[in-house]
Amino acid sequence: MPFDRSVWRRAWFHLAALCVTFVFAAPAFWAIIASLRPPGAPLPSAFAQLPDSFEWSNYLRLFDLLPFERYLLNSMIVAALAVPLTVIIASWAGFAMAQLPEGMRNALLAGAIIVRMMPVTALWLTRFLVLNELRLIDTYAALLAPVWMGSSPLFVLIFYWSFRRVPTEVIESARLDGLGAFAIWARIAMPLARPATGAVGVLTFVQYWSDFINPLLYLKSESRYTLPVGLRILQQMDLTSWSLLMAGAAIMTAPVIVLFIVAQRAFWIEAQGWGGGRKKA
Amino acid sequence: MVSGGQSDDSSSAADEKSIIVSHHKKLTAMHYQTRYRLSLYLLLLPFLTGVLVLVVVPAGLSFALAFSAYDGLSPPVWHGLQNYRRLSADDLFWRASVNSLTFLALTVPLRTLITMGLALLLHRSRRGVRLYRAAVYLPTVIPGVAYALIWLWILNPVYGPLTLILSAFSLPTAAWLVDPRTALPALAFAALFQIGEGFVVLIAGLRHIPEEYYDAAAIDGAGSLATFRLVTLPLIMPWLLLIIIRDTIVSAQNTFTPALIMTGGGPYYATLFLPLLIYQTAFDRFRFGEGAAMTAVLFVGVGVLIALVWRALGGWGYDDAV
Repeated sequence: MPFDRSVWRRAWFHLAALCVTFVFAAPAFWAIIASLRPPGAPLPSAFAQLPDSFEWSNYLRLFDLLPFERYLLNSMIVAALAVPLTVIIASWAGFAMAQLPEGMRNALLAGAIIVRMMPVTALWLTRFLVLNELRLIDTYAALLAPVWMGSSPLFVLIFYWSFRRVPTEVIESARLDGLGAFAIWARIAMPLARPATGAVGVLTFVQYWSDFINPLLYLKSESRYTLPVGLRILQQMDLTSWSLLMAGAAIMTAPVIVLFIVAQRAFWIEAQGWGGGRKKA
Repeated sequence: MVSGGQSDDSSSAADEKSIIVSHHKKLTAMHYQTRYRLSLYLLLLPFLTGVLVLVVVPAGLSFALAFSAYDGLSPPVWHGLQNYRRLSADDLFWRASVNSLTFLALTVPLRTLITMGLALLLHRSRRGVRLYRAAVYLPTVIPGVAYALIWLWILNPVYGPLTLILSAFSLPTAAWLVDPRTALPALAFAALFQIGEGFVVLIAGLRHIPEEYYDAAAIDGAGSLATFRLVTLPLIMPWLLLIIIRDTIVSAQNTFTPALIMTGGGPYYATLFLPLLIYQTAFDRFRFGEGAAMTAVLFVGVGVLIALVWRALGGWGYDDAV
């Protein structure tokens, strides 16, 4: 009897989980199918969403319509600069927070959480004025400005939690050996925080790659536009061709999905430790 | 411990020497300690500068601008409460506020329930669970613009997959985004799938509950519903509250991209939300002062909502975790 029950339970679990999977994968699936349909093909009926022939040339046509290669390159430049800068600055801040005495640490923690809770929309407008004053409007520097605060206080917190899990004796013995803060960060803390680095790296890439509002507000020259703004232009051309729009959406999404699949392990390992620092300390 | 001059004549030279050495050691230790502390602050410096320039200064400016008239060219002029007076008489502003509130009322409870249900389903390690979790996270990683375009396609009244499926079951369909009655609920529906962040946090929270608690509940003969109500729920309350608060903030502002791309705020202002109106007021009409005043209203409004949630759910539940 108990054997039967556990088999049923497992079956129900997988059935429910599979339903969830279908529902949550549907938007991406539909977009890919739509992107491969020949433009102007007859209407699909009901569930016959799969087209007769896959029109991969839709993806190439995008590059004829708009300088998509330029947008792609710009997006890659921004993301490629943002990831290492964010990892360095966020981990420095997280390391300092983990090492400073308790009073200071709690003040910084509270500050980071308050900043994290700050709605971005509350800052658009006046951040524009500040960046304008700094003569950064219409430069990549305006898009990259958030790296100076570690891109997001969350990333600082992820590193903080990760560094708090490093046993105190390890750091103490390094200090007795006469290592300075920078050397301990570089040689001891960072090598022990690989999952955190992976998670922050992926999340940072996604943040800058997907960023639509900052380029919309802070860029003017078309030659500097990134992919999200390029997609918006594609939409405004009003092509009435869904295949091309969905191809654009797929190009925008593919790198992010690939990255998440590759980094999944690190991501979940790190997520399991979130907020867990104090318990072991 | 041993203060220098008070020792007797009989104190040997060796003793004195050891005192000097330990004193010297203490000095270098202190020196090292200060240097270490200083270099920690140095590592913190870029972050603090970034927060100052990108958050603190803009927030202060925003506060000041809300009481001024400023077009971005001539210097700002003190305006007192003029901006707020104008807003209170502005139909569009009221419309956008009501729309934003409606959107929050639709999305936050539903998103929280879905997040919780999925986290409960998928928090244990089982075969294949990683794949399922990845699927739940998938819509969240789709960039905002692409996500809005995809939903524009899904909700297309003629060719869209949703319409095709509904009509295959001969269920009623609508011109979702063209009809003022369905446009806002349609945007809210699309927002229900991007819950990955809360999902990850809640799974982390559930995994923090020691397995013995469940065992104890099982020994006491608690059914799965009682176990949930008496063990799981109180223990993940802090995480849940964190998610709800974060979700209120995020949902209030994440209306911008979908509204701009999918509806442009229409039809007949049915999906005009505060962030979109702020954008139009400040960047299309160059009324930075009015935009800042709206921003302040949005900020305070979200703050009030969070305070209400906090009171309703009774603080942090228990104060052992987080």
